[in-house]
Amino acid sequence: MNEVLKVEDLCVDYITENGGYVRAVDHVSFIIKEGQSLGLAGESGCGKSTIAYSLMGLHRPPALISNGRIFLNGRDILSLPQKELRAVRWSEVSMVFQSAMNCLNPVVTLEKQFFEIYKYHHITKNRAEARERAIKLLNLVGIPAERITDYPHQLSGGMRQRAIIAMALALNPKLLILDEPTTALDTVVQREILKQIFDLKNQLGFSILFITHDISLMMEFCDEVAIMYAGKIVEQADCKTILHRPNHPYTYGLKQSFPSLRGEIHYMEGIPGVPLDLKHIPQGCRFQARCNKITCICKEKEPVRSNTDSGFYFCHNPLKYEEEQK
Amino acid sequence: MKYISKRLGFYLVAFFAAVALNFFLPRLMPGNPVQMYLAEMSQSGGKIDPQVIASVEQMFGYDGSVPLIQSFFHYVVNIFKGDWGVSFAYYPQTVLGAVQRAMGWTIFLMGTSLIIGFIVNNLLGILVAWKRGSRLDTTLTVGGQILANIPSAITALLLSFWLCYSGVFPLGYAVTPLYQPPTVWAFIKDVLYHAAVPLLAIFSTSLGGIMGMRANMINQLGDDYIVMGIAKGLPEHKIMFGYGARNALLPVVTSLAMQIGFMLGGSLIIEQVFNYPGLGKIMVNAINRRDYPLMQGILLMTTIIMLSANFLADISVLILDPRTRTQSMKGKK
Amino acid sequence: MKKIWNSTPVRFLRSSPRLTIGICLVLVVLFMTLAAPLFTSYDPNFRSAGEYHSAPGGTHFLGTTQLGKDVWSQVLYGGQKSLMVGILAGALTIILSMFFGISSGYIGGAYDSIVSTLTNVLMVIPNIVLLLIVSSMVDGGVSPLVICLIIGLTSWPWNARVLRAQTMSIRNREFVYSAETLGESKIRILFVEIMPNMLSMITSAFVGTMIYAIMAHATLEFIGFGDPLSVTWGTMLYNAQNTGALQSGIWWEIIGPVMGLVMLGTGLTLINFSIDEISNPKLRAQRIMRDYYKAKKRQQRKVGKAV
Repeated sequence: MNEVLKVEDLCVDYITENGGYVRAVDHVSFIIKEGQSLGLAGESGCGKSTIAYSLMGLHRPPALISNGRIFLNGRDILSLPQKELRAVRWSEVSMVFQSAMNCLNPVVTLEKQFFEIYKYHHITKNRAEARERAIKLLNLVGIPAERITDYPHQLSGGMRQRAIIAMALALNPKLLILDEPTTALDTVVQREILKQIFDLKNQLGFSILFITHDISLMMEFCDEVAIMYAGKIVEQADCKTILHRPNHPYTYGLKQSFPSLRGEIHYMEGIPGVPLDLKHIPQGCRFQARCNKITCICKEKEPVRSNTDSGFYFCHNPLKYEEEQK
Repeated sequence: MKYISKRLGFYLVAFFAAVALNFFLPRLMPGNPVQMYLAEMSQSGGKIDPQVIASVEQMFGYDGSVPLIQSFFHYVVNIFKGDWGVSFAYYPQTVLGAVQRAMGWTIFLMGTSLIIGFIVNNLLGILVAWKRGSRLDTTLTVGGQILANIPSAITALLLSFWLCYSGVFPLGYAVTPLYQPPTVWAFIKDVLYHAAVPLLAIFSTSLGGIMGMRANMINQLGDDYIVMGIAKGLPEHKIMFGYGARNALLPVVTSLAMQIGFMLGGSLIIEQVFNYPGLGKIMVNAINRRDYPLMQGILLMTTIIMLSANFLADISVLILDPRTRTQSMKGKK
Repeated sequence: MKKIWNSTPVRFLRSSPRLTIGICLVLVVLFMTLAAPLFTSYDPNFRSAGEYHSAPGGTHFLGTTQLGKDVWSQVLYGGQKSLMVGILAGALTIILSMFFGISSGYIGGAYDSIVSTLTNVLMVIPNIVLLLIVSSMVDGGVSPLVICLIIGLTSWPWNARVLRAQTMSIRNREFVYSAETLGESKIRILFVEIMPNMLSMITSAFVGTMIYAIMAHATLEFIGFGDPLSVTWGTMLYNAQNTGALQSGIWWEIIGPVMGLVMLGTGLTLINFSIDEISNPKLRAQRIMRDYYKAKKRQQRKVGKAV
């Protein structure tokens, strides 16, 4: 299978006053193959949205990509000149944003917002044709054709998010980034919209990078899951492994913080402590202050990558499952 | 059209407030204004015929025989009938006549500088918001604000000293006296030649607008739909104008009232410096000669100008913002 | 010496050149005008016989007026009065603005609609015309104090509107609700919860109003309102304009008041900018932007070298 997205050693810094910086994304690498869906999970502030934004070159000052490469369909988008980058955006990779309420230009009708996409990507300059295409897409996400002349404020939150999804699919991108697409919506609509997206994925064959802190939603929809903590991916594996045999203590903690949808009701353990302050990164493992399996080495050396059957993890003392199997 | 009718209602209230202010202000002052006025008049050597006395008494509502409310009512009716009294400083012109003759020039000065200021300030505001933190940003925002805070009179004085006394631009008047322009084009050229420096002076007081637009624009640029616009691969100019500026303009237009007041005040003062024959010029004359009816006429007329300008701003908001538009459509249903 | 250089307030001033320049300008103007006798030995109203419109230099630092009065001493003593009137009028205006703005924003309801209609009506009635008419109706000469009152009474609506909006937005924040739920009294909420959050805005409105009041005062006197016998910057300009000083190229009559007003305006504006910058984190982000541009350039250079 082709690699749609390949991220190598990506570092994103936030410049602070007096020339300092905070590294929000620290040497992150991952790959998304054609038709695959990767989930990226972690607490707020762990850098998952920063990754999403930098994948499209949307990161804004004072964020600065200081290291690494991002290959989209084989092209390094970080070395692309502005003009080509603009052409890549939305046509090869598009994004559904977190805040459905504020993502549409409030003074322009849906029809025009679709037309803009077609016009500036040189698909068509004909308004009627653009309208036809837009209506097809809107039908795909379940919005009646006559709403196309509406302004964003005339649509409900769920409808706005659907409209954005329709727009995201306008140019048949290879990769769709979902940045917490449903946090602003209620749970019923949430599931419905996600299901719709993943149905469309199977139908149209694009890949998905799904970013959320809701790990149970992720388990339901994604093939593979990467867990981020304090700017690093601490573990990546397929869904089953993450769900049943996580290696990293943080993955385990994160998993235990959400109630599972099926089965017995467990006591939710949660993770003690607060997320790491990126201004003061300790020596050794980043998770040390909150880890229940801490040993001396955790405070001295940063853990190295350990490969597993389906992925990898960074931990000195991974969770063990031998006893369980007996 | 709920929005429009609401605004019109407000303007009506404001207009009546101005009329009431005109009517009651002289009565709050110590002494009998009619006597004071007539005394001033005879002192300055004006002719006092019975018609003038009657007009003055009517103006102040000091008829004596009728109750206050009735004379106020009478006053309001007269205003709507166009009978604003007789000017003394410009005797035998009527107040309305004198005001009408002068207001064209003031509207020209104020309107032109308002339009120029609006375009230039907003463009510069968009530019510096886009390049915020740069040296250009600091220079334009701080410099603009400083220029805006220096009163128009000072700017006008300096400019006239620099540009007019050196002979580059004329020292005063709106057109060359006794000059008969052969063509319309020559007339326009003559008017612009005389208005250039005054316009520059008023314009400099409006430069504070850069900061307002900049702040709005920066607010908008932080919004999610801007990021989505960039993500859609739209070119920079589209994001800047179609997305950012288009939305940042709304609060600017809404708060135009203040700017309009500033511009009008600036025009009135600057006319004095440049000897420009607008409302400001006749206002100072009126005040120096205690021509109360004319003063009141000027207050009324300037209020009307302000209200009309504000009304235009309201309509532009309606055109620019679909949210107000659809609201008012719902009101209609 | 080094200790002073590195102390907190000095370091703060060093990090914000705008504020430093602003404070210096205002202090210079304040010191020169308030300590006028130190800088001139002339009485501003004393006429030097035979020296009419004499050029700067010699016995008169900035020359003399048409009537032989020393311009430099007029500038200094006139500045005193202009500053006084400005500060007083500014204070009066801001007190009125605060009273109407905050009370209508906090109390709301019918009171709010009445006050804000009044505010809006006053805003569309041309301020300067109203100022002129009211001052023309005051019997006798218009003393600086009366001008003060007139400016205060006619110019409060602008800030009142801004403060009202701010009060309303703070009033609807969670911490005010929680204070209400805890049973704090309305007065306490107003002064302990709401006002501290508006302090920077009030300060900046005060500085802004002061600029406006000083300038309005000068403008009013410049077009002939005010007592022509009292010496202020405005009347100096009025006299210069009326005696045709400009036409005959006598620049020294206007340079003093103009410089004074410009310095004061610039200084106060710079101070106001710094108040905004300190209180508004969004504006402070500008400094980070400067560092960002630097970092980006450094990176581009590195990439360029690698290629």
